[in-house]
Amino acid sequence: MLKVKKDKINGLIGEFLKDYLVFAPVKDGSRSKFKKITDPAEISTGTVKSERSPKDVFFPQSEVLFEYDTNGVRISDNEEKPYLLWGVRNCDTKSIRMLDKVFGNAHQAPDKDMYKDPYWKKKYDTSVIFNFACTAPLSTCFCNWFGGGPFDETGSDVFVVETDGDLILKGVSEKGKALLEKLSVTIEAEKKDEELAETAKKKAEEMMSKPTDISNLFEKLSTVWNEPVWQKLAAKCVNCGACAFICPTCHCFDVSDEGKNGRGKRVRLWDSCMFPIFTMEASGHNPRGNSTQRVKQRVMHKFNYFMENYGSHLCTGCGRCIVVCPVNFDIREVIKGILDHKIKEKVQADV
Amino acid sequence: MCNGYLPIQMKVEKILAENPDKTLKTFDLSFVNEKDRDEFSYMPGQFCEFSMLGKGESPFGIASSPTEKDILKFTVNRTGSVTKEIHYLQPGDIVGIRGPLGNWYPVEKFKGADVVIIGGGFAFTTLRSMLVYMLEHRSDYGMITVIYGARNPDLLIYKDELKEWDKRDDLFLHLTIDKSVEGWTKHCGFVPTITKEVAPDPNSWAVVCGPPIMIKFTLPVLKELGFADDKIYTSLERRMKCGIGKCGRCGIGSKYVCIDGPVFSFEELKNIPEAF
Ligand SMILES: Cc1cc2nc3c(=O)[nH]c(=O)nc-3n(C[C@H](O)[C@H](O)[C@H](O)COP(=O)(O)OP(=O)(O)OC[C@H]3O[C@@H](n4cnc5c(N)ncnc54)[C@H](O)[C@@H]3O)c2cc1C
Ligand code: SF4
Ligand code: SF4
Ligand code: FES
Repeated sequence: MLKVKKDKINGLIGEFLKDYLVFAPVKDGSRSKFKKITDPAEISTGTVKSERSPKDVFFPQSEVLFEYDTNGVRISDNEEKPYLLWGVRNCDTKSIRMLDKVFGNAHQAPDKDMYKDPYWKKKYDTSVIFNFACTAPLSTCFCNWFGGGPFDETGSDVFVVETDGDLILKGVSEKGKALLEKLSVTIEAEKKDEELAETAKKKAEEMMSKPTDISNLFEKLSTVWNEPVWQKLAAKCVNCGACAFICPTCHCFDVSDEGKNGRGKRVRLWDSCMFPIFTMEASGHNPRGNSTQRVKQRVMHKFNYFMENYGSHLCTGCGRCIVVCPVNFDIREVIKGILDHKIKEKVQADV
Repeated sequence: MCNGYLPIQMKVEKILAENPDKTLKTFDLSFVNEKDRDEFSYMPGQFCEFSMLGKGESPFGIASSPTEKDILKFTVNRTGSVTKEIHYLQPGDIVGIRGPLGNWYPVEKFKGADVVIIGGGFAFTTLRSMLVYMLEHRSDYGMITVIYGARNPDLLIYKDELKEWDKRDDLFLHLTIDKSVEGWTKHCGFVPTITKEVAPDPNSWAVVCGPPIMIKFTLPVLKELGFADDKIYTSLERRMKCGIGKCGRCGIGSKYVCIDGPVFSFEELKNIPEAF
């Protein structure tokens, strides 16, 4: 393991800034979100995840697909430096890896370029993620339900632990290891540093509440489609969509043309299955016309469909949706409600 | 790297109003660039995103058959903002399309067997594609039966071709309208009823496309005749945006209609509660 002393961190970031576009959590009022930085002083990593996830770095809330005029369409082909993400927490690292499954190539789709999202790939494929350990998880953090934890390094390129302001670095992926080898400001970490990191890990893990066993969740969800439990669970949701917008793994989008007189641009914008018009068809028919159906869709997509298509749950337990919800809809309670639900034996009418 | 969001340019060659009210129009499009034409290869049942820059995109089944070279045919029902804009098009105008998207009717699997095609209203588009394709490869298939209905004679699309097909002796065409009108000499009654009368052999492959209500009532008829779920195919419609499995809009259960469909067998659909 390597170490970067407190007073050398700015120099390290400076080195990165030469070869990379560096994205890091930056304070925006009382909250923090990932932004492109030009000066290490802007960074505000904190001890846990940022309020806004780094999803926007690769999949912005609004993104131009192309511009058009009467001569046809044009895509911007400006070359950018590779992206380096600094201060990402493990839940968010994993969410980015999940999104790559969707944007990198869709499930079952033939291995053809047209199914690979060029806007995502351009930014993602060359990116490096510096995953920071969380030293003070929040009460809403439940990454441990999904096998994660504040010190989980799965998916990281470089794993970072802060100890007394110094940084302990560990190359996790080949890409991360290769990058660390090139750095000039690092020194070998000592036994003492590793002990400090170990203590911080224990402390952080103790702060997490006990995980709920969700190993049956996928199967259970496959059996409850027609159960009345959904009405109960969905009752308070107001379909505002805040949970989907704040979620690091939600990836639904709308496509819309903006412009007039024959010139303009086609943009994609975040969208949410929580909104009634999401599935509204020209005929007026709406396959998901009521709120319960939409809440069910969100839960099924995250904990059943995505598993079927990509082999994991589409949730990292970051807890952001719990924090932003105006009516205290708590995804953990929904999961528990499903797991605890007892399916009544069908009463045989003809007996 | 190819960009699945970019439309290719097409030129409107011909426009045909399919009904007196002109709410249904068929557009023949040709490729503006030779390269696009050479690379565009599709099968009956696939669809395209039709792009009206400034208004947006809408998905439409490809109504032409791959055996009809150099043109793509779409039949568009005027209903909302994009389809209204499409209806304003004039020959010579340039439009965009993305595709071919989605899967197709398993015409390879149908080889050597009888096929029954059941359609309702203007959903006959990709059925036309498949029918023309099979007629081009006529010796590959057994008996071909077509049951096609609409509310009234005006709403049957491809009227000239229906006349031609009716004359053929290697194709059984059963046309029907909901209620009898002057001068109509074919069947009267709903598609499910006529299907029951025609009673196709349950060893055939069946392809059913039409309004949800028609599908809902035709299925039990086919089941009663002895058709197995995996012998019946349909094409689903859902609201779409990307058409390439990203935007999440067209989901039914764990499937996305745009990449896992639009063609599904009832065997696949029966376990998806959202399918109908
Ligand atoms: C695979 C597939 C094949 C289709 N084939 C045909 C065809 O051959 N002929 C035909 O007339 N229609 C077809 N449709 C339906 C057609 O796409 C819609 O009628 C059309 O998108 C309505 O667009 P609009 O802008 O005029 O309506 P608006 O109500 O203004 O719709 C706005 C947007 O909603 C979406 N949308 C609305 N309704 C539908 C719908 N039923 N299906 C999909 N997207 C919708 C579109 O993205 C559209 O741009 C097909 C749909 C699908 C999914
Ligand atoms: S569903 Fe909630 S807890 Fe799960 S990843 Fe999304 S915002 Fe985080
Ligand atoms: S959910 Fe886990 S990884 Fe994410 S911020 Fe909380 S403790 Fe860290
Ligand atoms: S239309 Fe976007 S996922 Fe199917």
